[in-house]
Amino acid sequence: MNRNRLYLFLFMACVVGFIWLAITYNQGSSNTGKPGVCLFKRLTNIPCPSCGSTRSVLSLLKGDITGAVMSNPLGIILLILLVLTPIWIFCDLVGKKSTLFIFYNRSEYFLRRKWVASSAILIVLLNWIWNIYKGV
Amino acid sequence: MEAQKVDMFIMTNAKYFESYQLSAIRERLISMDDSRWVMISTLQLKDPTISLVISILVGHFGIDRMVIGDVGLGILKLITCGGMGIWTLVDWFLIMGITRQKNMEKIQPYLY
Repeated sequence: MNRNRLYLFLFMACVVGFIWLAITYNQGSSNTGKPGVCLFKRLTNIPCPSCGSTRSVLSLLKGDITGAVMSNPLGIILLILLVLTPIWIFCDLVGKKSTLFIFYNRSEYFLRRKWVASSAILIVLLNWIWNIYKGV
Repeated sequence: MEAQKVDMFIMTNAKYFESYQLSAIRERLISMDDSRWVMISTLQLKDPTISLVISILVGHFGIDRMVIGDVGLGILKLITCGGMGIWTLVDWFLIMGITRQKNMEKIQPYLY
């Protein structure tokens, strides 16, 4: 994947994320536990590793950090990505640089190391088990 | 390289590449030195059918992307619930082509 395609892809992903946030912002947390857009949860009724991240981001926006962690800690990472990525892309495009692309390639290389990959898998699995236990 | 050898390679590995790439690969292989044959013939290529099966079964968690080498995108797919389900659906149709592209990227340094 080259630089411009990656930037377009990430930007579109952020736009979809913001639209989704705008839609769900007004509904509040009234739909707790009900399957939303998640395919896996609709099919199996078991929450997937990232279920609850919408609720988590929404509670973060209201300043409720404990609620965010209790919904899904991944929401914090998602909100950071959602805010940071468009700014980074904008800076890169204005300055005609490709720092984000270089960072992406380096982090991909970093994530392929055995101990990083296995600890990341462990964290995601633990989060998933916690998710199922909470019944998000 | 001998044409017979090259044709054998093309026949056994045709499913790993896009059809329009095959003639170019064949030409490059024929004009190539025999000493590279060992490298080319022992190259580990990803099977598009296997990646489709992975995509259908656990594509929602981004495993398909990680398997073909896009670890960053795989993690993004995992933490966004399979791109809210849309990305999962789209990848069911795209993953075979992407796998073939990845195979082409893998063989390219040996060809040139």
